Amino acid sequence: MTKQIHLWAFLQGIGFYPTAWKHERARPAGVFSMDYYASVAKLVEKGCFDAIVFGDQLQSRGAGGRTPERMAMPTLDPVTLLTAMGAVTRHVGLVATISTTFNTPEMLAERFATMERMTGGRAGWNIVTSVHPDTAGNFGLDEMPPKGERYTNAADVVAKACELWAQMDRAGPALPQGRPVLVQAGQSPQGRDFAARTAEAIFCPAATIEAGVEFRNDLRSRIAAVGRNPDGTRVMPGLSCVLGGTEDEARANHKAIMDLADPALAIEYLSESLCCDMTGFDPEAPLDHEHVIANTLLPAADVARAVTPAGEAGTPLREFAMNFMLNPRGHNVFIGTPEQMADMMITWRDEGACDGFTLQPSYMPGGLEDFVEGVIPILQQRGRYRTEYPGSTLRETLGLSPRVEDAA
Amino acid sequence: MNKPFIVSASIADPLLAVPETGKAILDAAEATGLDLLVVGRAGARPFDAQVVLAWAAPMSARIGLVATVPASNAHPFHVARALSAVDFLSAGRTGWSVIPEGAEQGMAEDMVGAARALWDGWGSDTLIIDKASGRYLDASKVKASNYEGPFFKVAGPVNAMRPQVGQPVLVVDAAAAIAIEDADIALVDDAGEATGATKRLLKVDASADMAAIAARFEAGEIDGVHFTLSDAMAELPAIATLCADLREAHPAGPGNLRESLGLPLPATASNQPDGARVPEIA
Repeated sequence: MTKQIHLWAFLQGIGFYPTAWKHERARPAGVFSMDYYASVAKLVEKGCFDAIVFGDQLQSRGAGGRTPERMAMPTLDPVTLLTAMGAVTRHVGLVATISTTFNTPEMLAERFATMERMTGGRAGWNIVTSVHPDTAGNFGLDEMPPKGERYTNAADVVAKACELWAQMDRAGPALPQGRPVLVQAGQSPQGRDFAARTAEAIFCPAATIEAGVEFRNDLRSRIAAVGRNPDGTRVMPGLSCVLGGTEDEARANHKAIMDLADPALAIEYLSESLCCDMTGFDPEAPLDHEHVIANTLLPAADVARAVTPAGEAGTPLREFAMNFMLNPRGHNVFIGTPEQMADMMITWRDEGACDGFTLQPSYMPGGLEDFVEGVIPILQQRGRYRTEYPGSTLRETLGLSPRVEDAA
Repeated sequence: MNKPFIVSASIADPLLAVPETGKAILDAAEATGLDLLVVGRAGARPFDAQVVLAWAAPMSARIGLVATVPASNAHPFHVARALSAVDFLSAGRTGWSVIPEGAEQGMAEDMVGAARALWDGWGSDTLIIDKASGRYLDASKVKASNYEGPFFKVAGPVNAMRPQVGQPVLVVDAAAAIAIEDADIALVDDAGEATGATKRLLKVDASADMAAIAARFEAGEIDGVHFTLSDAMAELPAIATLCADLREAHPAGPGNLRESLGLPLPATASNQPDGARVPEIA
């Protein structure tokens, strides 16, 4: 049996690129309508994806208190979106991001139990602890709890939620999977350790095949070290793409997306990413890296690594911001033909860099359409990707045990 | 002035949260012509009503979807986001009913105040979505509300667009320990009861004297009726028959839930004139 590729669809907002909403094949107003989500969900299901996944934030965008004008936002609440998409589909899994820091176990257990029942056992929980400093003020705190505390609390919240699900399952109506599939996306040693103990699937960035191999091997050894079976966890790095009939066409398509970036958008996006408002600076003047390091809400050392070299070299803010847009999130971005993309995906899978991919379409819905129509049939012809769903629950789709009998 | 005869019902049957049976119940509620389906009620919450509403949004076309929100097991930041999303997915058919259940006194009112402040943090005309100019929204219309109440302190802005109905239609049970002076709809046991709500629905059952109810409606004492369902599939057809004449004489209007029921945003509840508008993009 050749190794099968798992696929998730990460459908946050309007696509991978901040410019994506301006693309001629993008439907930016669609993110406020059910019709759009219904058509997208059905397309994902036609493509036999394991699951749709949404990330989440618990604060509005607004570096330094200024709401950006040129970025597609706000998005809608992921649990609501996924449940509604579940109502118009039959098989595709639905993975919602919920924070353990700002939800009680009772709140999130009730939410997921209802979602799990209403979707016939297709719910997954991407467990996050929240990191953005602006979140604290929305929940009555002056600052975020320290990371160690957040992870300790996360373990408690997950354990308590699992107990509650076991009770709910026994009381009925049954939870088809026993509880939602547990998903995690932490990168730090603490995050990896937490994932090793808890996760049945992991979403991560891996820009290169080597990074993918390193991450997956590390996670599998950590999982084995805590006495769990590494084959019970799917590692699903992010993957974005721009496709074309030829390599040249794909490059031209990529350039067209980049050309949608205006300097004002690039500077807004940079401000958001570095948590420091730079929209008031002269775009032609050198990047004021010292100002950024002094004013960022993020850990200063991380930001310093990103801005100091360009700042010391005198790179203009506009140029730095435009370059930053090319690939800001550390994910693998593929530019080429559908055949080349299928080759690349198969190679990653065979080399042990992943169990599958979390596809992040470059723009929506066009980028998703291109992938489903272009790449999926090739993966299916090569016997590396399913042509129909094996069952009805997300656990079955992921090839995990059909049901967690005692979630607690 | 639109003055429809409003028919509302609450349901707390666990079978509503199982897709096969839930779909049948929802279809029956829609066929009955209910204006409002209140999902869950005090003392009976076998599901998360906000999630049931998310599922019901694409499964229904006309009915107003009202989520029961327990003040003791929710946070206004999460509630504001969830109900905003339900509102867009249902094209403006969202309501909510905050219940004090298990919460300290004043917490339910605080939940209402905090969520309203978050929805008001986004102006009615925030969205621009113009590909040509690259302007997605008007940042001057977005404000941090910095709400501070006895239980909830919420800075905002919330990462959710203002709903199309402005604020979800607020339904309060006059018998509950919650004091809201500017609710949209109060459910009352007695037509003469004082409420702070824009409209009042009399709680009745299938044995109601409809001639007396019609007289009270004509006299302006009540705006409609509310049923507490225990066996929805059996009771809904009877409700349809019972209310048919009054509904035909006083139908709900077109538009979103507020427009169709003649419920303007209470001026005391919002600093914005109306709901969010999404520009149509060619």
